[in-house]
Amino acid sequence: MDLLLQLLANGLVNGTFYALSALGLTLVFGLMRVVNFAHGEMYVIGGLVGWALTGLAGLDLFMSLAIVVIGMAIAGWLIDRVLISRVRDQGEEAGILLTIGLSIFLANSALLIFGTTPRRVISPFPTKPLFLGPVVLTESRVFVVLLCAALIVAAHLLIRKTPLGRAMRATFQDRLAAQLAGIRTERVYGFTFGFGTALAGAAGTLLGSIYVAQATIGGLISLKSFVVVILGGLGSFAGAIVGGLILGITEALWGGFVSTGYVDAIGFGLVILMLLVRPYGLFAKRSERV
Amino acid sequence: MRLQRHVLFMALLIGVLAPLILRDEYLMHIGVLIMFSIMLATSLNLIVGYVGEFPLGHTAFLGIGAYTAALLSLRLGAPVYVTILAGGVMGGLFGLAIGAVTLRLRGPFFVIVTLCFAEVLRLIANNWISLTNGPMGMSGIAKPRWIESQGILGQKTSFYYIGLVMAAFALHVAYRFVNSNMGRAAIAMRENRLVAQSVGIWPFYFGLVTFVIAAILCGFAGAFYAHYISFVGPEVFGFSFMVSMIIMVLVGGKGTLIGPVIGPIIIVVLEEYLRDLKELRLSIFGLVVMAIVVFRPEGLMGFMARRPELYAGK
Repeated sequence: MDLLLQLLANGLVNGTFYALSALGLTLVFGLMRVVNFAHGEMYVIGGLVGWALTGLAGLDLFMSLAIVVIGMAIAGWLIDRVLISRVRDQGEEAGILLTIGLSIFLANSALLIFGTTPRRVISPFPTKPLFLGPVVLTESRVFVVLLCAALIVAAHLLIRKTPLGRAMRATFQDRLAAQLAGIRTERVYGFTFGFGTALAGAAGTLLGSIYVAQATIGGLISLKSFVVVILGGLGSFAGAIVGGLILGITEALWGGFVSTGYVDAIGFGLVILMLLVRPYGLFAKRSERV
Repeated sequence: MRLQRHVLFMALLIGVLAPLILRDEYLMHIGVLIMFSIMLATSLNLIVGYVGEFPLGHTAFLGIGAYTAALLSLRLGAPVYVTILAGGVMGGLFGLAIGAVTLRLRGPFFVIVTLCFAEVLRLIANNWISLTNGPMGMSGIAKPRWIESQGILGQKTSFYYIGLVMAAFALHVAYRFVNSNMGRAAIAMRENRLVAQSVGIWPFYFGLVTFVIAAILCGFAGAFYAHYISFVGPEVFGFSFMVSMIIMVLVGGKGTLIGPVIGPIIIVVLEEYLRDLKELRLSIFGLVVMAIVVFRPEGLMGFMARRPELYAGK
């Protein structure tokens, strides 16, 4: 019983982390419909820059996080302006190829600059264990989970409650109608991609203090994020959170009770099942055929 | 189409004669890699260029072919023609199974689920240690005795000719496919799915047949690779093979027959030429991919796929 509780707790923590790392992709893939294979690399860059700022420059975590978010937002906006906007109306394949090219470029440039050494973002939170009944968690994880929750809520509010969020939702529902209503849709696209990139970078920095940031893990992060987004259904934040939690808990239980070798395969198995049984995702509202 | 056929025959002739002039081990090694890449690119091009879907997990069939050949050769001592055939057959069977699941999906979902299948297979190859020897891989896959008895140059040249025959076979299959009713149906589907359906083309069925053909060709290539390198590890399922396949098809021009010949030649030679640059080389490839998508989405040979009527208008 204690083991089960511990595994559930681990699963919840990891699930929150998955949800956070997939949040940017929910926007870019779920709303903008850009199949962004460079998502994992943006996460990695966030982590590596976070390490450089905390470890080399000696800034504290929150300062570095702010710098990463602003820097990545600008980078994402530029990527959208320079690259994605050119293939906007050419269907999904062009976007897929473009982001694959981008991911190859970013991953190998990161390797060139930072090498293969795993780097850890320095965090002010202690790593001492925290006992909650039979469950043990480290304090730093609990803090990061709280930060994740705050970020997720902030992103949700931005999209639901602000005029900018309303413009985003309008643009992705019907671009022409949004243009007619006076929304500058090109700016909205650029902003959404920048926002997605910033979220990916923030996730990289935050999780880089728990796990490690490494130039080679981008591909795995991209894949797991796609798994989370598809499990939860496209374009809904609640979906991303549920998708992340499902993935985290299933992996933890499978790893604890069955075998640790195939843990990484669970998510892929779930997605294959999911798309066969319920291709719209668990929480997608529209019943559009995918 | 006729021009493409002539160019392909010329290329075959040059391919047959080249080893007589280039008597060099290293050049022959590059020749073998080019032949291997032509098989892969032709296989991927059938799906990307003619079905119009994008299978990001195409390495699944490369790996299945390679592992089949390695297992048959190491465990049962099967001769090379059996293992290569078996590699193709197993590739085809997996193509049937995976295609039957994934071709129900379209666009990004197809891309991601095929990738999921390749990843699952990679994890199985990594973890089923009693069968596949896990991350250590399987080494010492036998070369045929008549090849083994020759010197290094002779061995490379023999493999080169085997590769040439197999690549020519793959291109022949692709040529016959494209010029069959099946291929025309596939092109109609790629151009406009609804119109194709309205004249009685069943997208799932035609997509599946193409998928299986491509998987068989890829399985052959995998088996050939296993015997040539004489080592197979889980990385045959990995993304790096996929990346080179994509770049080759893109550079050459998807939806043409000679694109997947030109692309591999350029990319393999470039890869060897830039080998000293390591990661920088891959960064450059990333930039090349982006540049092609933005500036020349049809690839170098893309003009071949355009129809003659379109030129008349210009």
